[in-house]
Amino acid sequence: MKWRVIGLETHDAYFNMALDEAISESIRVGSSLPTIRFYNWSPNAVSIGYFQGIRDEVNLDVCRELGIDCIRRWTGGGAVYHDFDGEITYSVIAPAGIFPKNIIESYGLICGWLVKGLGSLGIEAEFRPVNDILVKGKKISGSAQTRRGGILLQHGTLLYGLDLKTMFSVLNVSRQKITDKMIKSAEERVTCILNNRDIDKKDVYEALVNAFTEGKDYESGALSIQENKRAEELALEKYRSDEWMYLR
Amino acid sequence: MIVYSSQKVKEGKIVKVEAQFDNVITKLKISGDFFLHPEEVLDEIEKSMLDLERDVSFDTLAFKIRNIIKNYDAQMIGISPESLALVIREALK
Repeated sequence: MKWRVIGLETHDAYFNMALDEAISESIRVGSSLPTIRFYNWSPNAVSIGYFQGIRDEVNLDVCRELGIDCIRRWTGGGAVYHDFDGEITYSVIAPAGIFPKNIIESYGLICGWLVKGLGSLGIEAEFRPVNDILVKGKKISGSAQTRRGGILLQHGTLLYGLDLKTMFSVLNVSRQKITDKMIKSAEERVTCILNNRDIDKKDVYEALVNAFTEGKDYESGALSIQENKRAEELALEKYRSDEWMYLR
Repeated sequence: MIVYSSQKVKEGKIVKVEAQFDNVITKLKISGDFFLHPEEVLDEIEKSMLDLERDVSFDTLAFKIRNIIKNYDAQMIGISPESLALVIREALK
């Protein structure tokens, strides 16, 4: 099976999430190849899981103040702070039939590509079900998956740097309560590439591309005009809408 | 009257339940950082709780949720029918 790999792009939160859905639709009707894409978020953003309440999880006032976008994902899981400088995000979108039916096993398969990429950088990592990757017992990556209309979408982030102060300020913990103790406690649970190796973000991205494409027949592709158009529609009509944002 | 419960369940994820009731449940909203495939099944679970009495048993709640999961061939990750029923029961106390 042939894959399409779309190299690192930067979009805002709404277009990024709309794009995952537009590509899913396109693969479903046979217009696009199974796709692996890498991307950044600009402006920085907070994404919440499909089942979460945005008011419960996100400090919307702080987001507005800092110019940080807020978005509900198409996938479950928890709230994530997406920092342009501090992470690389990936999406894998392909017919569900090529992955194990067992969801944990399919997480394991795709997260295995990430583990391999980290390994090639000299960072020993392990997959921790359900959806985490750990380095020395600390979380460095989280992923989320959905399967709709026969298409599997898994997207996830790899932490390159950590800005815990901003992360806590947007994730509904009041700024008064952001104590040194809380940051220290998070530092004990979460890690990033730069805490393990002083390496350029570009090199991390290249290691990921190599690991995700290893053994695959693939072409370096781009979005089709149709995918772009559909993503723009979805970004505007769905992902930016209050109806979607306040779904729960 | 609106009641609320939030718990980190034993399968590892956070489940929040907000229920509105008069004599019976009139509205129920489940949220959290769990996974459920297909996602739309959560709407069915919420609907199935409507018109139940406030003192509905844990067994009845778990039975209803299990049935929906089975009927839709759904998969819950990070929660279970029993742990969801427990949080709903807690909210209705």
